[in-house]
Amino acid sequence: MNNNQNTKYDELLSAYVVRAINVKKIYMMGSHPVYALNGVNFSVKRGEYISIMGPSGSGKSTLFNMIGGLDKPNEGRIYIDEVDIAALNPIELAWLRCHKVGYIFQTYNLITVATALDNVMLPMTFAGIQQSDAQDKAAELLKRVGLGERILHKPLEMSGGQQQRVAIARALANDPSIVLADEPTANLDKKTGLQIIELLKEINLTQKVTIITATHDYKMLDISDRIAWVRDGKIEKFQKRYELDIKEGKLNVK
Amino acid sequence: MININNNQNLASEVESLSFSKTAKIALKGIKIRLWRSLILIACINLAIAFLSYILTSNSLQRNLETHASKELIEKLIRTGNYDPDNIQNQNIQTYWLLTLAVLISFVGIVNAMLMSVSERFREIGTMKCLGALDSFVLKLFLIESAFIGTVGSISGGLIGIILAFIEGSFTYGKEVFNLSNNSVIISVFILSSVIGITITILGALYPAYQASKMKPVVALRAEL
Repeated sequence: MNNNQNTKYDELLSAYVVRAINVKKIYMMGSHPVYALNGVNFSVKRGEYISIMGPSGSGKSTLFNMIGGLDKPNEGRIYIDEVDIAALNPIELAWLRCHKVGYIFQTYNLITVATALDNVMLPMTFAGIQQSDAQDKAAELLKRVGLGERILHKPLEMSGGQQQRVAIARALANDPSIVLADEPTANLDKKTGLQIIELLKEINLTQKVTIITATHDYKMLDISDRIAWVRDGKIEKFQKRYELDIKEGKLNVK
Repeated sequence: MININNNQNLASEVESLSFSKTAKIALKGIKIRLWRSLILIACINLAIAFLSYILTSNSLQRNLETHASKELIEKLIRTGNYDPDNIQNQNIQTYWLLTLAVLISFVGIVNAMLMSVSERFREIGTMKCLGALDSFVLKLFLIESAFIGTVGSISGGLIGIILAFIEGSFTYGKEVFNLSNNSVIISVFILSSVIGITITILGALYPAYQASKMKPVVALRAEL
């Protein structure tokens, strides 16, 4: 690479954290192919907050899983931090999931028998970080999400909102480039959900971490930079926040 | 591409999540699920205790002819506890029982390990999402079962031998110690422990393999 190309490459690297190019995913239903994704193109800039909307069966989860390195496309390419995930072997994919992506699930998915601290330490253990360093960092992260007093509690001794906070701390454990949140507020009441959304936005702003959420929560759309509407395996449209007219409980799409 | 090279270096770091660390996590898992682990240990323990008990009392009986006093043998024949003509038949019966005991505990262990895998689908899926490798999951379950197998088998082997001696002391009185042969007893202990550990690991192999091959998405979706 000459200098010029190098600079260009660096620019690209710093600008986009996810790029999907003509991504197709085909499942076979018997002998009948079903296109879960049928030519998806999109890019996500570093530090963006993106919401993915779409009815169930639209291909939303498939797209989500691919960004998270849990699934590979049949056709097309997905770059995460300019690494083509289709070219990675299982070990490299595990590395990618460990270092580049943080997951937040609808059902929290904490290890129920382990303490909050152990839960947050787990991804760091997989990353090969020293136990004592991991412990310090996990305690720090839990403090950051407002659970400084409860680091030794187990998930079942916590409320839903607190469990989701542990999950957020765990997602941030290895300083990922992307945090993927799959309906993170769906199991929470309105007030708690709002607190979680605010926390995510704050992390997005202060840590410059890219957040991609799948959601039906209008409050979540309200703080997103862009909203991707997925339907029938394609991204129907992208909308900027200001193109939406969000009112309490309902949404008028322009 | 600089990045990919970097990734490969780091990927080997993930791979090298050391045995001792995996063992630590496995031990923690056993401790956390203490009751389930204890039940599994008890299952192996009983089977192996039965095995070593039968083998030990068999060896005691086999030594009657050569090591016991005439009075004792006559007494035993009179009370129906010893029948030199029928010893062959008795042996065949015992080996059937032993095979059954080993088979039953094998099935029990497979069952218990499958339960413990399916109980932890979500946990496995989550760990994989967080960057755990297939080999880590496999190792985790195998180490866990090896530990359970070792504790269960060794204690089972000892208990069986002790019980055989207690029972022997009722039947043979003081002469029980004349009948015992140290090297035989030690080999009974080693044999039954090895059998116990082997069947535990064999029983855990398939469930552990199944767990390690599970796709994280599928594991997460499993409703339990």
